[in-house]
Amino acid sequence: MKRRVLACLMACAVTLSLAGCGSTAVSGVSEGSQAGDAVASEAGNADAAASTGDAAAADTGSAEASGEDLNVMLETPVESLDPQVATDGTSFEVLAGFTDGLMQMDADGQAVPAIAESYDLSEDGLTYTFHLREDANWSNGEPVTAADFVFGWQRAVDPVVASEYSYMLSDIGQVKNAAEIISGDKDKSELGVTAVDDKTLKVELLAPVSYFTSLMYFPTFYPVNQAFFESCGDTFATSPETTLSNGAFVLDNYEPAATAIHLVKNENYYDTARVKLPGISYQVIQDSQQALMSYQTGELDMTLVNGEQVDQVKDDPAFKAVGAGYLWYVSPNIDAVKELANLNIRLALTHAINRTAIAEDVLKDGSKPTYTAVPMDFAAGPDGSDFSEDQQKFADVCSDDTAKAAEYWAKGLEELGITELSLDMVVDADDAPQKVAQVLKEQWEQTLPGFTVNLVVEPKKQRVQDLQDGNYQLGLTRWGPDYADPMTYLGMWVTDCSNNYGLWTNAEYDSIIAECTTGELATDAEGRWAKLFDAEKIVMDEAVIFPLYTQCNAEMISTNVSGVDFHPVALNRVYKDAVKQ
Amino acid sequence: MKKYVIKRVVTAFFTLLAILLILFILMQLMPGSPFNDEKLNADQKAVLYAKYGLDQPIVVQFGRYVLNMLQGDFGVSYKISRNTPISQLIQSRLPISIGIGFAAVTIGAIVGLILGLIAALNKDTILDTLATVISVIGVSVPSYVFALALSYQLGFNLRLFPMLFSKDQVIGSSIMPSIALSMFTMASIARFTRSEMLEVLDSDYMLLAESKGISGGALFFKHALRNALIPIVTVLAPLVVDLMTGSLVVEKIFAIPGVGSLLVNAIQSNDYNVVISLSFIYSAMYIVIMLVVDILYGIIDPRIRLVRVRGTSRK
Repeated sequence: MKRRVLACLMACAVTLSLAGCGSTAVSGVSEGSQAGDAVASEAGNADAAASTGDAAAADTGSAEASGEDLNVMLETPVESLDPQVATDGTSFEVLAGFTDGLMQMDADGQAVPAIAESYDLSEDGLTYTFHLREDANWSNGEPVTAADFVFGWQRAVDPVVASEYSYMLSDIGQVKNAAEIISGDKDKSELGVTAVDDKTLKVELLAPVSYFTSLMYFPTFYPVNQAFFESCGDTFATSPETTLSNGAFVLDNYEPAATAIHLVKNENYYDTARVKLPGISYQVIQDSQQALMSYQTGELDMTLVNGEQVDQVKDDPAFKAVGAGYLWYVSPNIDAVKELANLNIRLALTHAINRTAIAEDVLKDGSKPTYTAVPMDFAAGPDGSDFSEDQQKFADVCSDDTAKAAEYWAKGLEELGITELSLDMVVDADDAPQKVAQVLKEQWEQTLPGFTVNLVVEPKKQRVQDLQDGNYQLGLTRWGPDYADPMTYLGMWVTDCSNNYGLWTNAEYDSIIAECTTGELATDAEGRWAKLFDAEKIVMDEAVIFPLYTQCNAEMISTNVSGVDFHPVALNRVYKDAVKQ
Repeated sequence: MKKYVIKRVVTAFFTLLAILLILFILMQLMPGSPFNDEKLNADQKAVLYAKYGLDQPIVVQFGRYVLNMLQGDFGVSYKISRNTPISQLIQSRLPISIGIGFAAVTIGAIVGLILGLIAALNKDTILDTLATVISVIGVSVPSYVFALALSYQLGFNLRLFPMLFSKDQVIGSSIMPSIALSMFTMASIARFTRSEMLEVLDSDYMLLAESKGISGGALFFKHALRNALIPIVTVLAPLVVDLMTGSLVVEKIFAIPGVGSLLVNAIQSNDYNVVISLSFIYSAMYIVIMLVVDILYGIIDPRIRLVRVRGTSRK
């Protein structure tokens, strides 16, 4: 009997201990929910405030906001809201929601004034002087000053911060002393950016950079208020309290790696009449089926759709293929594989690809077949035309032409004195790349007699490592543009660039790129543009890469939502003009 | 008994140390690093490695890692939430995971118990078969399949529950994930209850009790159920730990900001510190629960205790 009582006591003890965990957990959650409720009700008040604000605005003739948040799906959580630490598209999108840089993107992706009202460029193209708006304030009431930019930019090159995008200031932006500071040879105070007075910022460059103003909307160049930053200690940008806004929205609900993020309209924004949404509610959903169903039940206004779901929704008026900017291509290891050093073999490989089939039958998400080394729809020239609009310009060296491919193949094999060839191709262990690689293998093996391709599927991190180490034969890889200029692609193929995986080298090419980057042409927009075409031609003639397609993201955007700007560079989605009916 | 407990506690401690070592080795074997993005060149990588101390010799890294872990300092995230202390990341997430896990265990245990009892009391009837079929399905179908099915039927078609976790309605949005997670527990408990109950019902003392004239309710609750329950409590604890593995995928499906989804993201982006810390916490929870169960076993079940006592007294 005694034993049984003891046993029962023990049983109770276990249950209680579990219940103990549970009750703390439950109370923790309910506290969270209360906090959430509080936030929600505050948001509600803000909404009310927003709509009254809008009602006032309506008198002056502007459109009335419906008072409902825009509900947006995010594929991945935010990595960081520290502008100098963030690197991924999701973080950039949220950051840009509540922060303005010197410039902002217009609907076409051109740089237009934001915090900077205007700027002057010196005759030699080496000194920019930005004049800041008088009415730009942080959400704590402090004015946005030139010193905030200096502090932000110094952080970007500070080895202590170790910003992954520090090269935007050095290699890309050519800001004076940036490279030396990154390598630790100079102090960050020597960076070529100075606050002349509160509202005047002077930037000194080593060489003229024709696309410099379009870098100014890139979050690495965003301002950070030093006094506020220091008051946060180590917690800067990890919560709404440790974040300052100077943009269209204010961060309202966020925690590190949050699955739900909320922004509300910034009533003190200098351009507040322009912003129609009362807020943006982000939800991270990593399961594509859940995301689509949430969209269909109306919980989301915008969501990404994966390739397998496209068939299901492609006739929906809300379906849209949005350019993602990424160029997918195959990199042949020209240096290490002697068969790939043969130009005819490379030309055979690039001709044997049926890019249309890959885009339309395999990916189905709106991705566009690409026959140029610089992808479409991201870089507009001095006359406003797209650099790669003409996809036929290299048709003689890059086209879907199996007959030509067979011809080059026979020639190549003869030159090498072989009859068959077997190569490995490294591929990311993700869904889309694996499918594309499978089709590539089929197309190549079908068109080129005696050719065998072995697919080596690796986790992406390993695949990147292998390509960077030159430890591959063929590699399926991608590159996203960092700024709206063809150089973001063409800069990769110069000798010794770490992204020139195949170690191709061509003196003429190197000299053209040098001329366009730091040489005479850097200040001559039209001359430079023409020269970049020449550079691209060399890459294509030599089949340095086999371009495949320009990636698009298939999105559902509810038909009552308009005015969301999509960009393949820097800020993928901008909501300043968005309207939800 | 005391000796036995001390021995088990010491073993548990060394197991944890061994886990620390294994986790560190596993991280070294993981392909790639948190910083081999295609956008990074060698110089930038060097700066990042230096910032996070990954450029130090392995021995130094390991020493510092063990020291920090033993002091409860899990370090900062390298990638999924740059520079955020891991303790801060886990703080708000662990309660959510535990809350849903607890709900799942409760649902699973109660439903499982009822199913098991029905099956045992109606042995070899259609009800028994039905209960068995349900438990076989529950054990063999992974929780994420239930999660997707539930979310499609109850969330999407019938609109009964929100499809995604929301902090504004924690209870409503936790129902589907809890049910999905509870299926395995439910099925295991049902099968276990059935067999335990049958054993008890067949036992001599039940026959004796019945022949003494103890009737219906008292016979069932006081004599049969109570005896069958004791072993069930001991299997319940390890099942709690099994829930954690299921929660990895279920949390991802329902967008629950718990530790499971955090771990999945961390593994995918080689975020060493987050992976190590969470794996360590999982392992520690498992070991502690197993330790408690082992000790309880010794106390509850005289057979085990007697063996141990005899075993130790011989020394």
